[in-house]
Formats: sequence, structure tokens, C-alpha cells
Amino acid sequence: MKTSVNTEIAITYLSSRKKQTVVASAGVMFGISMFIFMQSLMKGTNDYFEKMSFTNTPHIKLYSENKVADDHMLTGMLKDASQKILTNPKQLNESQGLTNPYGIIDVIKKNKQVAAVTPQVTGNVIYTSGSVELPGNVAGVQIDQEDKMFDVQGNMVSGNLHDLNRVHNSILIGKGIADKLSLHTGDNITVRAGNGNTLVMRVIGIFSTTVKAVDETKSYANISVVQSLIGKDRSYVTEIKVNVKDYNNAPAVARQIEAITGYKAEDWVKANEQLKAGFKIRGIILNSVIGVILLVAGFGIYNILNMTIYEKIKEIAILKAQGFAGKAVTSIFLQQAVMIGIIGGIVGLIIGFSLTYMVSRIYIGAGMLKYLPMSFYIPHYIEALAFGILTTVAAGYFPARKAAKVDPVTIIRG
Amino acid sequence: MNETALKANGITKYFHDPVTMQVLKSIDLDIKRGEFVSIVGKSGCGKSTLLYVLSTMDTDYEGTLEINGVNTTGLSQNHLARIRNESIGFVFQFHYLLPDFSCLKNVMIPALRLGKLSYQEVEEMAYQKLKMFGVEEQALKKAGKLSGGQQQRVAIARALVNNPTIIMGDEPTGNLDSKNTEIVFDLFRQLSQEYNQTIIAVTHDNDFAAKSDRVVEMADGEIIAHHKAGTFHQH
Repeated sequence: MKTSVNTEIAITYLSSRKKQTVVASAGVMFGISMFIFMQSLMKGTNDYFEKMSFTNTPHIKLYSENKVADDHMLTGMLKDASQKILTNPKQLNESQGLTNPYGIIDVIKKNKQVAAVTPQVTGNVIYTSGSVELPGNVAGVQIDQEDKMFDVQGNMVSGNLHDLNRVHNSILIGKGIADKLSLHTGDNITVRAGNGNTLVMRVIGIFSTTVKAVDETKSYANISVVQSLIGKDRSYVTEIKVNVKDYNNAPAVARQIEAITGYKAEDWVKANEQLKAGFKIRGIILNSVIGVILLVAGFGIYNILNMTIYEKIKEIAILKAQGFAGKAVTSIFLQQAVMIGIIGGIVGLIIGFSLTYMVSRIYIGAGMLKYLPMSFYIPHYIEALAFGILTTVAAGYFPARKAAKVDPVTIIRG
Repeated sequence: MNETALKANGITKYFHDPVTMQVLKSIDLDIKRGEFVSIVGKSGCGKSTLLYVLSTMDTDYEGTLEINGVNTTGLSQNHLARIRNESIGFVFQFHYLLPDFSCLKNVMIPALRLGKLSYQEVEEMAYQKLKMFGVEEQALKKAGKLSGGQQQRVAIARALVNNPTIIMGDEPTGNLDSKNTEIVFDLFRQLSQEYNQTIIAVTHDNDFAAKSDRVVEMADGEIIAHHKAGTFHQH
């Protein structure tokens, strides 16, 4: 077989110069393990922050935007081409609620990309227990849907969230509220809405997110309870929360929903622009660091192969005299580069994985974040190996071409 | 027996460095299949240069070259490499074995490159060649660990492994003592007589040359005489 003899020579050259092979492989290994470690750390962190943002924000939030009066009615009445100027326009006295919310929900559900839809009524309230008053807001939700979308269960400190459907006038409060008002599961809490309605509610559970501002203000109650608390009817819904199957498609789906319903549909990307900017900047930093590491590794391989060729120049001449064509010689040296890449790559993968694993066991203990969030994402490993081998091939190509051009006559004759 | 193994017509070559100088002046040479030819001459007469042109490794010449009836002038490097692999074996003054490989592997490499036989067959054949030259005990030793004479015998075994029609030697005995020189000469003689292989050897050793079938004497880039067997005497 033609290839096997080239491969055999390549292997012999590598194994007869173990030290250099090890040094060259170590360069690749270092590059690849750093690649994996950094990628894992970054993806882990990004995923964590993304997930954190989704514990509070839906992928898409549909709500009625406050509108400011404009000149369209005036234009409609006067029916002329004059320029209308409204001095000191005011906000329109419109309902905060969405018109025909359940009709809208049915329409949204027809979109194939939508995974879950749930209505919500938000009411600004004051929590009272004894003499302490605490401002906050109560979210009237369908708790099963809410749990499905935001994993409320995962944040539960005590109680059972499904009691919200079973116990009359029940409420689920944030840990901050519970601490400040000294409440426990089973206690009563007085909730007063902006319109003066007051309701004594039973605390059936306490939840804790990592966000202090949420824990100190937010509570959940059944949607119908909140509707009656703020004196609205059963069709009053302030926002519709939508989760899509792939949250990266959220902006596109949001545009579609906006077009159909006419209400403002805010996607999570818009709501978390600074988060996205952070991801982007970290991505750039990461890629430049990895690029430099691989470049250095590449130069290492380039140097070592160049030296090998300089040392073996007589042997290359002999091989050519015996009928090895230029491309066979290229193949011998390119294969050495690839082997260095594969050896360094595989060891790099193992070290990268171990490093990632070790770091993921480091205790951080900041808020909900107990350990460093590291992701173990298979495509990173494939990418790392591919980049590593690509670098070695690129670094090996030029020395290998040089070897192919060795003129046997000048070398053998001295 | 009278088949032509190698035919050179009007081979002319210049060296350009440091100054342009004609080293080969329109050389015509016909070598028959199975012939044992020595090329002799003073240092710098162009005999080695001629050999490298005949070997197809040096393609910077004028004139035409035919090997086994195939015109090799102007062929691509890859094509020439294939021809060398298949039809020409080389023995150099310094053995030029690959020191990282075992002797057996050194002999096997050209045959593996040719790729006509399986790995096992090549291995068997290479071992037979080593045996022929009495170095089979060294087969698995690294080439760098052998004595000069042994190395040269391995190098000759390597040159023969593809059963080439032509074997070329550039001072094949230049680095050997008289005993080893005799062994190598006898091998060449045997190859040409028994296996009908053509030998072309450039040599300084006039005793060696005198015993070959024909001695081509060169001076100043020209062939000045062809001596039949037994007619060449040391001047």
C-alpha cells in the first residue's frame, strides 16, 4: 500500500525523536486544553446567566403599551392636508389590559414555534402583617403553566406551589417578604391593592430566586384571585407570556406575534441587551486568547518540522533517489504534523475535560451559584480537535513543501 | 543479451555557479542489458555528473536519455521518480541508509513504495536479499549500529530489492577496505552474469574497473576511450 509506507516512515521519524515530538505535541495539547477550558467556562457562565434571566423573564412578553395621544383623530375629522400640531399631548386613558386575551392566546398557540403561553395579571399591592407594610406586586398566574415556563418549583423554599389551586385565597411569597414580615408557610398575610381592596390571604409557600429585588416584592396568586383583588373582571389580563421552543428564535416570533395582535411583544433579547453585549465581548476576548495560543503552538510545530527536515535532508534525498516522488515526501512530513496534532489533540481533550471538571467542583457560594458553572458541551471538543489539527496541518504544510523540493543531486553529491 | 538498457545521445551539461562552465560535452553512450560498465577518470572530469544525469535525478541537461527504451528526457519529476523506483537501484559511496530504521526496513522501503507485493512478501524478499549478502543476522538492528562494510552490503541489498534492470554506483567501494571491495565486486559480477542486471559504476579504483566488462574513460567532460574487458590497465 502506498500510504502505509509513508505513514510508517512518518511514525519512525516521530518515535526516534521522542523529545521533540513530545514538545511539539505539548504545544498543541496546551492550546486545545485551554480552548476547551475557556469555552466550557464561557458557555457555562453564559448559559447560567441566560437561564437566570429566564427564571424571571419569558422569552416573549406581550403587553399593552402606554400610548401618547397623536393627531390621527384630528386628521380623520378635518380631512384636509393641514399640518396638525398637538401641544402638550397626554397619555391616552386606555385600559392596561389586553382586549380579548384568550382569543389572542389561541392565536399565539397556533404558531408552531411556540412552546407555552400563559396569561398574567399584575397588581401593585402593599403587604401587611402586624404593623409592618411592604410594597410589592402580586402576579396572578395559572401556576401549573408558570411552573412549566419558569421552574417555580425549583425556587421553592417551603410549601407546595400546587396548593395555590387547592386553598382558597392562597398566596406564594418571596423569601424577602417572608423574612421582613416574619411569615411562615401557613400564616396569614394582608394584601391591599391600589384601589383600596384588602384581602387576607394564606401563605402556602415561600420561594427564593437569586435576585433580592424579586424576593422582596414578588408574590404569586391565582389569576382569578388577583383579578377580583384589583376589581377587574375575568377577562382582564395585563400581559401574556410566551415561551418558544428555541429561545434564539424569540425575536422573529415576537415580530410575528406583534404583527398579528397589534400589541407590543418584547423578546428576551431586547429585555436583556446588556447580557447579550456581555456574551459578545467575552466571546471576542476568548477567541483572541485561543487564537494566540494556537498560533504559538503552530509556530512550535513549524519550527520543529523545519529542524527535522534540515537534519533529515540527506535521508530525504535518498528517499527521492529511490523513487519517492515530491508528493510522497510531502505526505511523510505532513503526516508527522497531523500525528503531532492528533496526539496533542487527544491528550489536550483529556486534560481540557479534567481541568473543566476540576474547576466545576470549586465552591463559589455566591447566592444560588454554589459551583462555577462549567458546561460539558460535546461540540466544543470536536471544534477543539478540528482547530488543533487544522493548525498543525497549516504549520506542517510549508516545511513539508520544502522537503518535497529537496534536490537529491545537490545533497548526495555534497 | 543485446537489448539496450540505457542510451544517451548528445548529453551536454553546464554548471552556472560560480561561472558558467561546460561539464559534459555531447556525450553518447550505449549500455547493453547485463553489461558491467565502469566509468573512470580524474576528479572533475564529469563522470559523477554524467552518472546523475543517467540516473534521471539530474534533469538539467541537453540531449536525450532513454532507459529500457523509454525516452525519459522531459518527463515530470513524479514520473521519473516512478521509473527510478522500478528500474534503477543506487549504491552510493557513503551507504546512506536511514539510521532510524532497521536494516530490514531500509531494504523494504523502496519495495513498499513500489507497492507491487504485499507487506509479507516484501519482508520475505528483503530478508532473502540480506541473506544473499550475508548480513541477515543484522536484519533487525538499527542501520546506524552496523560496520561500514555491513552497511554497504545492506545498501546494495536495498538497491536490488525491486529487481531493477540497472544498478548505478557512485564510488560503491570508495569507502571500503580491499576485502569488502572484493565482496562487493563479486556481487556486482554475479548480478550482471546471473541475473542479467546492468551495472554502471563510477569509480576511482582502477583494479575494480579493470575487472568490469567495459571501462569508459572520461576527461574534461568527454569520453576519451572505451576499453573492452581486460584491456584497461592502470596508467
